[in-house]
Formats: sequence, structure tokens, C-alpha cells
Amino acid sequence: MLCVVLAQKLGRPVKWTETRSESLLTAHHGRDQIQDITITAKKDGTVTGLDVKLLADMGAYLGLVGGGVPILGAFMFNAIYKIPAYKFTCTNVFTTKTLTDAYRGAGRPEATFAIERIMDELAVELGRDPMELRQQNWIKHEEFPFTTVCGLTYDSGNYEQATQQAMELFDYAGLRREQEERRRSGDPVQLGIGISTFTEMCGLAPSRVLGSLAYGAGGWEAASIRMLATGKVEVITGASPHGQGHETAFSQIVADQLGVPFEDVEILHGDTQISPKGLDTYGSRSLAVGGIAIVDASQKVIAKARKLAAHMLEADENDLEFANGTFTVRGTDKGKAIQEIAFAAFMAHDLPDGMEPSLDADAVYDPENFSFPHGTHLAAIEVDTETGHVDLRKYVCVDDVGTVINPLIVEGQVHGGLAQGIAQALFEEANYDEQGTLVNGTFVDYTLPSAADLPSFDTHVVSTPATSNPLGVKGVGEAGTIASTPAIVNGVIDALRDLGVTDVEMPCTSQRVWRAIQDAKGRSTQETPVDTHSPGAGLGSIDPNNPQGEVQ
Amino acid sequence: MIPAQFDYVKPSSVEEAVQALQQAGDEAKIIAGGQSLLPVLRLRLAAPSLLVDLGGIAELRGIRDEGDRVAVGAMTSYYDIIRDESVQQHVALLAQATETVADGQVRHRGTLGGSLAHADPAGDLGAVALALDAELVIAGPEGRRTVPAPQFFLDYFTTALGESDILTEIRFPKYTGWGSHYEKFNRTAQAWSMVAIAAAVRVEGGSIAEARVGLTNMGSTPIRAAGVEQRSWATGHRRRGAGSSRKGHRRHCRAE
Repeated sequence: MLCVVLAQKLGRPVKWTETRSESLLTAHHGRDQIQDITITAKKDGTVTGLDVKLLADMGAYLGLVGGGVPILGAFMFNAIYKIPAYKFTCTNVFTTKTLTDAYRGAGRPEATFAIERIMDELAVELGRDPMELRQQNWIKHEEFPFTTVCGLTYDSGNYEQATQQAMELFDYAGLRREQEERRRSGDPVQLGIGISTFTEMCGLAPSRVLGSLAYGAGGWEAASIRMLATGKVEVITGASPHGQGHETAFSQIVADQLGVPFEDVEILHGDTQISPKGLDTYGSRSLAVGGIAIVDASQKVIAKARKLAAHMLEADENDLEFANGTFTVRGTDKGKAIQEIAFAAFMAHDLPDGMEPSLDADAVYDPENFSFPHGTHLAAIEVDTETGHVDLRKYVCVDDVGTVINPLIVEGQVHGGLAQGIAQALFEEANYDEQGTLVNGTFVDYTLPSAADLPSFDTHVVSTPATSNPLGVKGVGEAGTIASTPAIVNGVIDALRDLGVTDVEMPCTSQRVWRAIQDAKGRSTQETPVDTHSPGAGLGSIDPNNPQGEVQ
Repeated sequence: MIPAQFDYVKPSSVEEAVQALQQAGDEAKIIAGGQSLLPVLRLRLAAPSLLVDLGGIAELRGIRDEGDRVAVGAMTSYYDIIRDESVQQHVALLAQATETVADGQVRHRGTLGGSLAHADPAGDLGAVALALDAELVIAGPEGRRTVPAPQFFLDYFTTALGESDILTEIRFPKYTGWGSHYEKFNRTAQAWSMVAIAAAVRVEGGSIAEARVGLTNMGSTPIRAAGVEQRSWATGHRRRGAGSSRKGHRRHCRAE
């Protein structure tokens, strides 16, 4: 906005640049909720109700969808479980901190964290295996479509399939035995198993649903497909990628639909001069909404091409078959490739009566439902009870994201999401002092993990196609971030459960874990003041907030 | 962020560098690999008027085997130290500790002399120099002198280096055949040490005949754990973490 005002005043292009520290201080933060969760269940483990009370920190002022983040999460606290009674209360509060807004997952990671943590606590209370308790309460695969307590209809899913595969790959039974052995021998390094059987609502969104939530936009997405005289295909999408690989996945879809070579498809995006219509990339919606708009536009192109092919082949439309980019008259070898038809449409020398020249089509797709990817994530975590050091030893996940268009992109999204969600559980945090000053607003102090801090992830996919869209896709952009955080924290606490630890606040740093162990043993510890320079940060012993003149 | 303005000289000899420092007085700062100084300049925690870059002085770079000791030029990069054969063979603890410093980019730029002269107690190499009885060669207006490591580290970020002094070389006695390990506790793989221990032992007939132990970030300077060294480790010593998983064990003993 500032740039626009300045550009108008100056009559010159204006570019906004900011330093990393300025960005950390003023771009939005996320996830700042205090959650008060109550779950009720029968003695046999059947969950009967869930009461969620949230205090959500908006920061100093409202962001784009800041107040909407907890609302989006509200639909997800019941997650994959058949919970008959559900109460949700949220108080959004303003503080003097940096504003919060949608951060990868937006509301759904917070909800998933709450329900997956409380399911573990319920299992402990009832003396049950936490996975078994989940199985008892989740929606069985034959019960889909299933309308949840908050009114969403989950179209498809198979929690049994993903879980069974994940447990086998993880060696759940073997690791439980090892955990038992370590507990028995009093090993200083204890083993924890973290579980997260998550689902999410994505593919945002049916416009009418967004309207009912007073959201500031609809949830449709637009696509245009233009077949050029050369046979190449230009595709315009409103779902603009910033590194996710839409160009690749969308090209695959168009190549499949039109039967043209993958490399002949060009995806255009991200410039309002080229693609003025669109609602963009967020909420794991690009494929499940933008991708379907492309399918719809492709179908319109094919429908027009079919009419022209029939005209060119002097055949009846209904006698034409379309496969591998060619219309063939059924039972003959007479046919026309779609590129030939595109050329004929461009030349327009001989078109059927009333047909407009050129072969192109627009489509706008408004989904009728969200999509509901799910997955089972399992983490084996070693905690050194003497130092509080947490070592993520093994991470296995089996995600059901519906039809997979590009396995490599799916794997990449899951890997990145896992690193982000695990970092939230173990490393990342925005610290403020008592005056409300952000004290770790540079990468000197803000802890980010690198590849060296994470294990080699064992990621897999299974596919229960979505029934709400013609491709059966569900979206994968946020899955890893949503699922991994509770898996890690559950694992840390599971490792320490025998020592009497029932909670560790995120991020589970060695200091916090060590302190939790000491507290459980009834030993007093000193609280580290929040503005204490974090040991081992980027300037070594120099505290950038309180320099002591070390280097002059 | 962008550092405050400063003048910059890149002398080609130690004498020239000392002269430049003398002329500028306490307004000058030496830049070696820049891995500690540049972040401080960029955050404007320091604003020297002159930077004296030692990168142009050839004699400060490189490692020599001098018979009973190994001499490491102050401007030798971590990368070169880790890969040097005589270091690996005779001063293995130095290579092991250096390998744990930050990440590959830092290890290509950062220098042993820069780290020791910066004297951050969280730096990994002070404890090694101290434990291994290194001697530090200092060039100043009065010529060159040699300072043993215990007299070099005086306090938090404070060493025996005067305003116009340059650390030129670090000499390590040879510890050929000694076993050694650098154990580091840090938040993430690339972070500075919260604490760390540098240990080298000479084993004779299955028991420890001699030990050298240095501690990182447990005081305002590196600390020599003399009491630990003197204690007989031969009996009753059990390796910590026995019975833990193989991976956990490897994490603790990866440099063995």
C-alpha cells in the first residue's frame, strides 16, 4: 500500500525492500494460542465430548485473516474422530506483539496439536495404547462420507490403511518393546514414540462456506487454455506458484487431458496483465481448486475441438473417440490430432456454421466441498534425561493426499512441511521481553534447524481419491506442517512419561526438557528470564540485545 | 544490515600490519576470516574506523611440521586445518574440534588465529589450545614474543594481545598416538557451544597414562580441567551412555 501511494505521488516505480530483521519484526507471526482442552470419554475409551477454549493472540493489530485463523481451526479439533458433542469458544486478544496471521496450516496445526496431545493424555488416563484408542474413535473407512459434529462432510479417507502401513514401516511394536526395556533398565537415554493421526480441511474453498464465515473473498479459481496455431498450449492460472512446482503439475494435467506433449504446455501466471482473475495459492488449494479449473477448461477445449473434428472428418460427433490427443472415427483409422484441429480453428477457413475461430476456453471452478487429506505420522524420539537433549531418531509418515499428480513434488512438500513442523516443536520461537520487545528478531538469535538436525524422513503416500473433484486430488502443501508438531511433542512426553513428566511447552529445548524432568523429580530449578541471550546463538557469547562492549 | 563506514587496508607483511595498527590506535580492528567480526559489524555492535585485513600476508597461512611440534599459521582456515595430515596425525584433537565449528561456509573462511584472538569463551578452539599446551606467537611493535596458552586467555573476549599486536602462529606439541575427542553440547548442529569438552589421553597397557582436558564456555575463558587430568581414570571409569542406542552412542562419540 505504501509503495502504491509513494509511486502515485512520485510518478515513479517504487520498490519495497526490508532487512531480515525488519521482516522478522513486522511480517506476521503465527500459532500464538493458549489452549484449554477438555475431553470426556466412557471407561471403555469411547470419546463422548470435547470442549475447546482458546485465547488467540492477534498481536498489535489484525492481519489479513488473523481473526479467521482460529475459526478455520475450529472445524478441525474433532479431527478424524467421531466426537458426538463439541463446544468451541475462542477469545481473540490484542497484545503489543507482532501481529499473527495465516502461517502454513493456519489454524489447523493448532487444532491438530490440541486433539492429538489430548488423545495421548486420554490414553494414559485410561491405561490404553494411544494408537488403539485412536482406532477405536476414528471414522472407519466404510463410514465415509461422514458428516462431523461441526458440519463438515468428509468425502473419503482410509485411516486404517495409512496407519497400518505407517506402523509396519516404523516397527511400532519393536520400538514399544525397546521403550519398555529402556524404562526397565533406567537407561539415561529414554525412548518416546510420538503419534499424530491427522486430517485437515483444505482445497479452500466453497465460496458459500467462506461467505458464511464472512471471509473477504470467494474460493473459486480460474483457468484459461489457448491452443496456438503451432500446436503448443498456453495455460493461464490464477493460482500463482512461488516455488511449489505448479508449472510442472499443471503441465502434466493439461498434457494428460489434451494428449499433447508435456513440453508443449506453457503455464502463465503471477502477472495481473496475463492472469487478472484468480484467488491464488494458499490453503493447499492450488491443485484441488486451480487444477480442477484447468481440467474444466481442458474439457471445454476438447468439446469445441470435437465439433470441429467431426466437421473436418465429415463424421457425427457421437462417432468420435478422443484418446492420446487424437479424435478417431470409431471403427476406422480416420482421425485428426488436436494440434491439427487447433491449426484449422486458427486459420478458420472452414469452420462449422456459427463456430468462433481459435481453440481456447476459460473456466472458473468453485469447489462444492473442501478436501480432506489425512495421514499417520510416527516419530521415535530419544531424550537424554541428564541433559534434556532431544534427538529425533526416526520419522515415518504415510499420507493420503488422494490422487498424486507428481510424486516428487508431493515428497518435497511433505519433507519441507515436516522440517517446518518439527522446528516448531523443537527449535523455533518468537521471544519477547517484559516490555514487549522481540528479543530474537534476527537469524543470529532465532533458532532454525538445518538438515544436520533432522533425520532422513521416511515418507510414503497411499491414495484414497477425493470424490469431490474429477481428479480425486486433495492437496499436500500443509500436511507435513500440520501433522508433525504434535507427533514430536507427544514423543518427547512419551519418553519422559515414566519420570512423571506430563507436559513440556514448545519448543522442547534441552533447557525446558531438563527443567521438566527436575520438576517431576520435585527438584527446584531456576526459570531462565525470557530475555536471556540464548546460549549458542549466532554471535556466540555476544548478546546483540545487550552488548557489553565485547568487540570495540 | 549494512556496517558503518570504515577505512580498509590490506598489508602484505606483518610489519606493515603492525604499523597500520599503531597508527590507527584503538580505532582499528583486525579482520581475519571475518566470521565473528562481520556479523558484529553488520549489527553495528562495533564500528571501528579502520579494518586491517590480514588476508594479504602469505606467511600467516599454512601448517608446518617442525619436528617435535606442529606450527599453524594464524590465518590458516578451519578447512585447511581439518584436512592437514600432520594435524590429523599429531594434533588430532584440533582437527576434531575444528570439524564441529559451525558449517562448511564458515569453515572455509574462518581461521584458527581469528577464533583464538576473538576469545569468545563459547569458541571451540580455545579449550583445545589450552588443553594441548599450545604456544601463541605474537608480533608487535617490540618484535615477536611467545605466550603459553594459559597466559594468553585473560578474560571474556580479552587476551594477551595488545592494541598493535597480531597473533601470527599457534604451536602445538605433538600428541602422536594419543586418543582424543571433542564433545559438544549445542542447540543445533551449526550453533555455538553451550558447553563442550576437549579431551586427549595417552593410553598405556589399557589404562590412561596421561590426560589433557579443556572446557569450553564454562567460564569467562577456556578452562583447563587439571583435577580431572590428575585423577586416575584407569579404574572405575565407565563410558557414559553405555546401554543407550547405537545411534545415541554415535552422536556422543562421533569423532572417536
